[in-house]
Amino acid sequence: MSEATLARAAPTPAAVRPRRRPSRDFLLGAGTLVAFVLAWKLVHLSRLFPPWAFPAPEQVLGAFVKTLESGELLKNTWASVARQIVGVVLAALVGIPGGLLLGASRDARAALLPICRMVYPIPGIAWIPLAILWFGIGFKSTVFVIFFTGIWPILFNTMAGVTTLDGQYTDVARVYLAPRMFYVRKVLVPGSLPFIITGIRLTYGVGWRVIVGAEMISSITGLGFMIDDARWQLRPDVMVAGMITIAMIGWVMENWAFDWLERVTIERWGMKSQPR
Amino acid sequence: MVRIEALSKRYAAGGTDILALSGISATIGEGEFVCLLGPSGCGKSTLLKIVAGLIPASSGTISIAGRVVTAPGPDRAMVFQDYALFPWMTVVENAEFGLAARGVAPARRAAASAELLKAVGLGEFAAKYPHHLSGGMKQRVSIARALAVDPMLLLMDEPFGALDAQTRFVMQQELLRIWRAYRKTVLFVTHSIEEALYLGDRVLLMTARPGRIKAEIPVASPRPRDIGSVEFARLRAQTLELLSEEIARSMEQEATAAVTS
Repeated sequence: MSEATLARAAPTPAAVRPRRRPSRDFLLGAGTLVAFVLAWKLVHLSRLFPPWAFPAPEQVLGAFVKTLESGELLKNTWASVARQIVGVVLAALVGIPGGLLLGASRDARAALLPICRMVYPIPGIAWIPLAILWFGIGFKSTVFVIFFTGIWPILFNTMAGVTTLDGQYTDVARVYLAPRMFYVRKVLVPGSLPFIITGIRLTYGVGWRVIVGAEMISSITGLGFMIDDARWQLRPDVMVAGMITIAMIGWVMENWAFDWLERVTIERWGMKSQPR
Repeated sequence: MVRIEALSKRYAAGGTDILALSGISATIGEGEFVCLLGPSGCGKSTLLKIVAGLIPASSGTISIAGRVVTAPGPDRAMVFQDYALFPWMTVVENAEFGLAARGVAPARRAAASAELLKAVGLGEFAAKYPHHLSGGMKQRVSIARALAVDPMLLLMDEPFGALDAQTRFVMQQELLRIWRAYRKTVLFVTHSIEEALYLGDRVLLMTARPGRIKAEIPVASPRPRDIGSVEFARLRAQTLELLSEEIARSMEQEATAAVTS
């Protein structure tokens, strides 16, 4: 999320960057990771925390393998991922058209922004009790909570993408007599795509943050449930294994799915600002 | 064929009413290349946008082939100063934009764009994205996009203003070649005296704000024009004299505005 770019990049020749990162960057990143695990092990050996509350790296690895073998990890991961995907897709399906409308229409902004700004600061977790009353425990209530907290970044980002779109693009569309829907498809959506992708990234991140909380309270499956359940069994190794699973899924999505999406769209078009 | 009659434009800015254009009248004949020359801020781009139908006039009319126009139409196309190509479309998709917007079938679009991209010397670059192109090449795409819809009137808003001197000269010659080949009526906005006198059949010189037509300078010499000739130098000196009064006034206005704001 930290490298999410909100700036609309000027398409310069410098924007063409070789895809292969230098291996030096990789070594620095991997080195820090190894140092972190070593430090972790040292803290464990130092007995700074009681061993029943602070697992060693190899214990976490063991818990990882064991939950993987028993099927518990995959089952819970899939439960979380399915909720996450459904929630984020629903948020995008409502948030992108909604953001386009808010960005394009002054009246829509005047009518809808005040209520959006009032609902938006309510933390996702606060919706959970109500969601349980409405949808019961499990899939639907979790998806509802992800949707309701995840819709805002994508809605507001899409709106920002439309409102900051170069007015000249609109002039071109008008001069060449583009019909409204043609304009939306060919100009408005691709022109706002840097913002829309950033919005989806943020929505995805918000979704993971809220899903674990939601599953701790309103579910009997999922990684959040697994982490919370390990508390009752006094298994901190399982907790950390669950946390690392979340981290890895996040890493895969950031580095593969979203980066890929950017590569085939805004990077290819020279619309992405490059880190210096 | 293009008639501009008693056209005025006022707009409100920061609580004050500003008169941008005042009593502009002009006629452009079919196939004529007319340059609109004036100091910065004189409203020449505003006038062009009004002719394009992008912004409304406050009073007065514009008619093309006898019909009064108030909105963009198929009879006009525009080339913008900073190209205004869509970065998410390839060169060929950009060139076909106007045809696609009008619902022209893909096969006919492809035939038209292939011919035009060849005509502007970009046949090899059809599948490239704009950010791979130089400024001059981008403006060629923009010209191809404008010609693709086969307009009667081609509106050009300082199209070569962002180019370096050499590219600019090449593009001016290219434009004249294209203009001869496609026989379009051209209204060309520029703030360069040389460019106006090199390109235009006629130069309409505008005053500082409020923009009026101060003088009409016919350029009779045949093309290609020799910018080193005595005739060209005489015309340039004459135009410069007229223009420099306006530039001085324009700068005065800007200085006053800077002091009062």
